[in-house]
Amino acid sequence: MGNWTRNLACALVCASLSGCVQVTAPERPIEINLNINIRQEVVVRLQEDVRDLIQRNPGVF
Amino acid sequence: MNRLISLMIAAGLGFTVAGGTALAAVAMQSETPEQLRATGLVGEKADGYMGLVGSAPAEVRSRVDAINIQRRARYTELAGQRSATIEEVARSTACEIFASRILPGQYYQLPDGVWRRRNGDERVPRPTYCG
Repeated sequence: MGNWTRNLACALVCASLSGCVQVTAPERPIEINLNINIRQEVVVRLQEDVRDLIQRNPGVF
Repeated sequence: MNRLISLMIAAGLGFTVAGGTALAAVAMQSETPEQLRATGLVGEKADGYMGLVGSAPAEVRSRVDAINIQRRARYTELAGQRSATIEEVARSTACEIFASRILPGQYYQLPDGVWRRRNGDERVPRPTYCG
Protein backbone atom coordinates (compact mmCIF):
# COMPACT_ATOMS: atom_id res chain seq x y z
CA MET A 1 0.00 0.00 0.00
CA GLY A 2 1.65 3.26 -1.11
CA ASN A 3 2.01 6.27 1.17
CA TRP A 4 -0.73 8.17 -0.67
CA THR A 5 -3.27 5.40 -0.40
CA ARG A 6 -2.31 4.79 3.22
CA ASN A 7 -2.77 8.46 4.07
CA LEU A 8 -6.11 8.53 2.29
CA ALA A 9 -7.29 5.47 4.22
CA CYS A 10 -6.18 7.05 7.51
CA ALA A 11 -7.90 10.31 6.66
CA LEU A 12 -11.14 8.51 5.86
CA VAL A 13 -10.99 6.48 9.06
CA CYS A 14 -10.16 9.61 11.06
CA ALA A 15 -13.00 11.50 9.49
CA SER A 16 -15.50 8.82 10.42
CA LEU A 17 -14.42 8.60 14.06
CA SER A 18 -14.92 11.35 16.60
CA GLY A 19 -11.31 11.49 17.78
CA CYS A 20 -8.28 10.16 16.02
CA VAL A 21 -4.52 10.59 15.86
CA GLN A 22 -2.58 10.33 12.63
CA VAL A 23 0.16 7.82 13.24
CA THR A 24 1.79 7.74 9.83
CA ALA A 25 4.87 9.92 9.55
CA PRO A 26 4.68 13.03 7.39
CA GLU A 27 6.18 12.73 3.93
CA ARG A 28 8.83 15.37 4.39
CA PRO A 29 11.09 15.71 7.45
CA ILE A 30 9.85 18.21 10.00
CA GLU A 31 11.77 21.41 9.47
CA ILE A 32 12.23 23.78 12.34
CA ASN A 33 13.32 27.26 11.42
CA LEU A 34 14.13 29.15 14.58
CA ASN A 35 15.33 32.22 12.70
CA ILE A 36 18.91 31.62 13.68
CA ASN A 37 20.78 34.06 11.50
CA ILE A 38 24.29 32.85 12.10
CA ARG A 39 26.46 32.72 9.03
CA GLN A 40 29.10 30.08 8.66
CA GLU A 41 31.71 32.67 7.68
CA VAL A 42 31.29 34.34 11.06
CA VAL A 43 31.74 31.04 12.88
CA VAL A 44 34.90 30.35 10.88
CA ARG A 45 36.24 33.85 11.55
CA LEU A 46 35.72 33.44 15.29
CA GLN A 47 37.01 29.89 15.50
CA GLU A 48 40.51 30.61 16.80
CA ASP A 49 39.30 33.21 19.29
CA VAL A 50 36.63 30.88 20.55
CA ARG A 51 39.12 28.06 21.05
CA ASP A 52 41.34 30.43 23.04
CA LEU A 53 38.35 31.57 25.05
CA ILE A 54 37.52 28.01 26.05
CA GLN A 55 41.10 27.17 26.95
CA ARG A 56 41.69 30.33 28.95
CA ASN A 57 38.55 29.86 31.07
CA PRO A 58 38.64 26.31 32.43
CA GLY A 59 36.04 26.78 35.14
CA VAL A 60 33.56 28.24 32.68
CA PHE A 61 33.68 25.93 29.65
CA MET B 1 21.83 3.99 79.61
CA ASN B 2 21.22 2.11 76.35
CA ARG B 3 18.47 4.56 75.48
CA LEU B 4 20.80 7.48 76.08
CA ILE B 5 23.47 5.93 73.88
CA SER B 6 20.93 5.24 71.09
CA LEU B 7 19.79 8.84 71.34
CA MET B 8 23.35 10.14 71.07
CA ILE B 9 24.06 7.93 68.05
CA ALA B 10 20.88 9.10 66.36
CA ALA B 11 21.76 12.73 67.06
CA GLY B 12 25.27 12.17 65.75
CA LEU B 13 23.93 10.62 62.54
CA GLY B 14 21.43 13.46 62.19
CA PHE B 15 24.18 16.06 62.39
CA THR B 16 26.27 14.12 59.91
CA VAL B 17 23.44 13.99 57.40
CA ALA B 18 22.66 17.68 57.83
CA GLY B 19 26.35 18.55 57.65
CA GLY B 20 26.76 16.26 54.68
CA THR B 21 23.96 17.95 52.81
CA ALA B 22 25.41 21.35 53.56
CA LEU B 23 28.81 20.15 52.42
CA ALA B 24 27.29 18.82 49.20
CA ALA B 25 25.69 22.19 48.54
CA VAL B 26 28.95 23.99 49.18
CA ALA B 27 30.92 21.48 47.10
CA MET B 28 28.52 21.92 44.20
CA GLN B 29 29.41 25.60 44.07
CA SER B 30 32.82 24.71 42.68
CA GLU B 31 31.81 22.01 40.22
CA THR B 32 33.40 22.62 36.85
CA PRO B 33 31.46 22.21 33.61
CA GLU B 34 33.38 18.97 33.01
CA GLN B 35 32.20 17.61 36.34
CA LEU B 36 28.64 18.76 35.72
CA ARG B 37 28.52 17.18 32.26
CA ALA B 38 29.79 13.95 33.80
CA THR B 39 26.86 13.77 36.23
CA GLY B 40 24.38 13.37 33.37
CA LEU B 41 22.18 16.06 34.93
CA VAL B 42 23.57 18.86 32.82
CA GLY B 43 24.27 19.16 29.10
CA GLU B 44 25.55 21.62 26.53
CA LYS B 45 23.20 23.56 24.29
CA ALA B 46 23.76 24.83 20.77
CA ASP B 47 23.19 28.40 21.96
CA GLY B 48 26.43 28.24 23.96
CA TYR B 49 25.01 27.74 27.45
CA MET B 50 24.60 24.80 29.79
CA GLY B 51 21.16 23.41 30.51
CA LEU B 52 19.47 20.92 32.82
CA VAL B 53 18.66 17.65 31.09
CA GLY B 54 15.75 16.82 33.39
CA SER B 55 15.08 17.85 36.94
CA ALA B 56 18.04 18.55 39.17
CA PRO B 57 18.66 19.65 42.76
CA ALA B 58 18.67 23.35 43.54
CA GLU B 59 22.45 23.37 44.04
CA VAL B 60 22.99 22.09 40.52
CA ARG B 61 20.58 24.63 39.07
CA SER B 62 22.28 27.52 40.80
CA ARG B 63 25.72 26.34 39.75
CA VAL B 64 24.58 26.09 36.12
CA ASP B 65 23.13 29.61 36.36
CA ALA B 66 26.39 30.94 37.75
CA ILE B 67 28.39 29.33 34.97
CA ASN B 68 26.05 30.67 32.31
CA ILE B 69 26.37 34.18 33.68
CA GLN B 70 30.14 33.89 33.40
CA ARG B 71 29.84 32.56 29.87
CA ARG B 72 27.69 35.47 28.79
CA ALA B 73 30.26 37.87 30.24
CA ARG B 74 33.04 36.23 28.22
CA TYR B 75 30.89 36.20 25.08
CA THR B 76 30.07 39.88 25.52
CA GLU B 77 33.72 40.75 25.94
CA LEU B 78 34.84 38.84 22.86
CA ALA B 79 31.94 40.16 20.80
CA GLY B 80 33.08 43.71 21.53
CA GLN B 81 36.65 42.90 20.57
CA ARG B 82 35.76 41.17 17.32
CA SER B 83 32.81 43.14 15.98
CA ALA B 84 30.44 40.24 16.31
CA THR B 85 27.14 39.86 18.09
CA ILE B 86 27.00 38.12 21.45
CA GLU B 87 24.87 35.41 19.87
CA GLU B 88 27.41 34.81 17.12
CA VAL B 89 30.17 34.38 19.70
CA ALA B 90 27.98 32.17 21.88
CA ARG B 91 26.91 29.86 19.05
CA SER B 92 30.42 29.69 17.64
CA THR B 93 31.65 28.63 21.05
CA ALA B 94 28.95 25.97 21.17
CA CYS B 95 30.20 24.66 17.81
CA GLU B 96 33.61 24.23 19.39
CA ILE B 97 32.22 22.71 22.60
CA PHE B 98 30.22 20.19 20.58
CA ALA B 99 33.33 19.29 18.61
CA SER B 100 35.65 18.81 21.55
CA ARG B 101 34.11 18.84 25.03
CA ILE B 102 31.20 16.41 25.01
CA LEU B 103 32.46 13.02 26.11
CA PRO B 104 30.71 9.72 25.30
CA GLY B 105 27.46 9.37 27.21
CA GLN B 106 27.12 13.09 27.83
CA TYR B 107 24.20 15.23 26.78
CA TYR B 108 23.84 17.93 24.14
CA GLN B 109 20.94 19.86 22.68
CA LEU B 110 20.60 21.02 19.08
CA PRO B 111 18.35 23.94 18.09
CA ASP B 112 15.35 21.57 17.93
CA GLY B 113 15.39 21.53 21.74
CA VAL B 114 15.76 17.76 22.08
CA TRP B 115 18.34 16.41 24.55
CA ARG B 116 20.48 13.72 23.01
CA ARG B 117 23.21 11.57 24.43
CA ARG B 118 26.54 11.10 22.70
CA ASN B 119 26.62 7.44 21.73
CA GLY B 120 30.15 6.12 22.29
CA ASP B 121 32.66 7.75 19.98
CA GLU B 122 30.19 8.85 17.34
CA ARG B 123 30.65 12.47 16.27
CA VAL B 124 28.30 14.94 17.93
CA PRO B 125 26.09 16.43 15.20
CA ARG B 126 26.32 20.21 14.89
CA PRO B 127 24.14 22.89 13.34
CA THR B 128 24.97 23.51 9.67
CA TYR B 129 26.38 26.99 10.39
CA CYS B 130 29.18 25.35 12.38
CA GLY B 131 30.71 24.25 9.10
